[in-house]
Amino acid sequence: MAIQIILLCGLIIFSVLAILLKDLIKAALSLAVASLFLGIIFFLLAAPYAGVFEISVVAGLITVLFVLTIALTKKDGEVKESRIVHLAFPIFFILFIVIDGLVMKSLLQKIPVLPIGPEAGTFGEVLWKQRTFDLVAQIGIILAGVLAVLALFRKKEEDKDE
Amino acid sequence: MSNLWFLYLFFSALLIFIGIYCLLTMRNLIKLFIAIEIISKGVSLAIVATGAVNNNVLLAQSLAITYIVIEVCLVATALALIINIYKKNKSLDVRLLSKLKG
Amino acid sequence: MVFSFIVIPLLVAAFLPLIGKISKKLLPDVLTNAALAFLLFNSILLVKPIFTNGFIIQNLSWLGEKVNLQIALDGFSLFMLFTISLVSLCVSLFSIDYLEHYGHKANFYALFLVMIAAMNGLVLVPDLFSVYLFMEVAAVASYALVAFGLGSDELEASYKYLMLSVVASAFVLLSITVIFGLTGNLSFQAVAQGLQDLNARIVLGVCVAFFIMGFGLKAALIPFHAWLPDAHPSAPAPISAMLSGLLIKVSGIYALFRILYSVIGLSPALSRLLMALGIISVLVAALLALGQKDIKRMLAYSSISQVGYIVLGLALGTPLGIAGGLFHLFNHATAKGLLFLNSGSIQHITGTRNLDELGGLGKKVPITSGTNLVGALSIAGVPPLAGFWSKLIIIIALVQAKAFGYALVAILASILTLWYYLLIQRKAFFGQVREKWQQVREAPFWMSAANIILALICLLVGIFFTPVYKTWISPAAEALARGIHQVLMWGL
Repeated sequence: MAIQIILLCGLIIFSVLAILLKDLIKAALSLAVASLFLGIIFFLLAAPYAGVFEISVVAGLITVLFVLTIALTKKDGEVKESRIVHLAFPIFFILFIVIDGLVMKSLLQKIPVLPIGPEAGTFGEVLWKQRTFDLVAQIGIILAGVLAVLALFRKKEEDKDE
Repeated sequence: MSNLWFLYLFFSALLIFIGIYCLLTMRNLIKLFIAIEIISKGVSLAIVATGAVNNNVLLAQSLAITYIVIEVCLVATALALIINIYKKNKSLDVRLLSKLKG
Repeated sequence: MVFSFIVIPLLVAAFLPLIGKISKKLLPDVLTNAALAFLLFNSILLVKPIFTNGFIIQNLSWLGEKVNLQIALDGFSLFMLFTISLVSLCVSLFSIDYLEHYGHKANFYALFLVMIAAMNGLVLVPDLFSVYLFMEVAAVASYALVAFGLGSDELEASYKYLMLSVVASAFVLLSITVIFGLTGNLSFQAVAQGLQDLNARIVLGVCVAFFIMGFGLKAALIPFHAWLPDAHPSAPAPISAMLSGLLIKVSGIYALFRILYSVIGLSPALSRLLMALGIISVLVAALLALGQKDIKRMLAYSSISQVGYIVLGLALGTPLGIAGGLFHLFNHATAKGLLFLNSGSIQHITGTRNLDELGGLGKKVPITSGTNLVGALSIAGVPPLAGFWSKLIIIIALVQAKAFGYALVAILASILTLWYYLLIQRKAFFGQVREKWQQVREAPFWMSAANIILALICLLVGIFFTPVYKTWISPAAEALARGIHQVLMWGL
């Protein structure tokens, strides 16, 4: 249990770093570290496949995309954030922790949850047989993403000779 | 078991708060998108933890994987938009994007 | 057969970029329109089975194995399917000529078809997580379509839209997750059953608040509307028509009311809250629309206002209110689609959308002017056009439910609506022809054809109001009302 709380705290700390660090590359890397923590948490929660996906895709692929974008926009990409935002963050953060804790504590034990027996089958069976529709939708979203990128990076010159 | 559920929900609410704070206050387009990523981390933590504490982890796991696929497509689209905006404006400042006012 | 609504657009979309290499214009045009015409035909064929059975549930098996591809179709979903197919067919006809400026037709049509497939999917699935998924697919396609012109306004609007919409769907998914935790299930029926057995008022209240926030943002109800007046005018005209006519209704209103009616149940408090949101949208957006100079921005504000009417009708929860809301949804989809396409025609003809620069186009472009008048009068609610009947039904339903204040505001707002639509008509089409526009010509064939089809629908639905109401609106309204009765016993 203690390990999980440490991991969760690590997740929060690196997420905070990701928004507070001024250097974008460092921010993107702390986001990747946060994903790494999340992946390990998934693993401890008995969801190894989700953990692997989180680490390889989110911590790996998405970070690469971020770093690529940051590199492409580096030349005039610097934006001054106002200092107040950084200074005010701890106050709001602590305030929210208190509110969040109180809300969760008041809900604790009061929420009835339907008892469910242990699940049957393996992960593969659940994914392919119970959630088949999700796979269809995944095809759709991948198609949408690919087409969106194609549309946004098309060559302008080509438009004119048509 | 539901004690644990609230522990995880507490942390996922915290992540979502961090993301929304950044969305409301920061000015760099890439920073804003990092905030969106943090929000979606909070959501995926909530999904997996919900399944894990309620004996439903296989189902929750397949939902989380689908969610990660969605996230990748969103990131690709959004970063393509950001690069295009940068090419037009030569800047990543969100304040330059105020020609259109709701 | 029902599954083809999702598969056919996706398949065509997958092959279009390849086909686009061979033939840049002709084949994409033909294929897209053929696919959409087939879907429209298919949805008409489904009317009879729905009439006799009330609903269809199909389970598909794949490669001999039983997999869970369950589709549920009832009156409400069929009604939405028909509306989607009809409006999107007209929009794609319009795009044949309009997309000549933009180029890359194959890519455009592919995104367009993915969006339609996702909307059809959203309407057909009986599962909470799948609703979220298809909503997101449609949203990703629409971000790219809004930015399709690649100008700086388009990109900016698209980025704003993306930011708000991602937050909205995060809240929707969070709420779905909590419901999943409570009941251990995701399909509508099982969740409704499970929630009935549990007594989790507080948590369910939070979930409903998140749903209203998320779907309200997608539907652009007033406190959550900031993205719409930017995103819809910036998009190419056919896409504005799709977004305003269909997307905000499918991924906002349909999803919200499907979940409220068939899963959570509409309690009196919830109904009052939604009606308040609806009436605020109706009034405030109508006032904001008056001050706009850009035709498309005015139309976008008008969309918010009309969505308010739909929410008002549906949230009332009486059978008459639901029927009025649905009928208005259909009328708004066709009429607003028509008006946005018309604004595209105006831009194509003159190159501007600014109302102050236009003037006296009526004599030069009679078709565009005439169809615009029909659409405007239909939305404003002038008899005997379709919009009059739906607003009348909503107002009668409000009076029946003794919500006189709401009814009064609804009537006042419809006068405001008439006012700003006549403003468009007068400034753009009536009066003396300006020097500048002496040489303008009527819009190309397919653009005019699509406008005429939609205008005829507005007109004919209004004239043949009774048969249309009986065949289309009542089954859908009944399907929703049944949902209420199932879950109303235990409330929120």
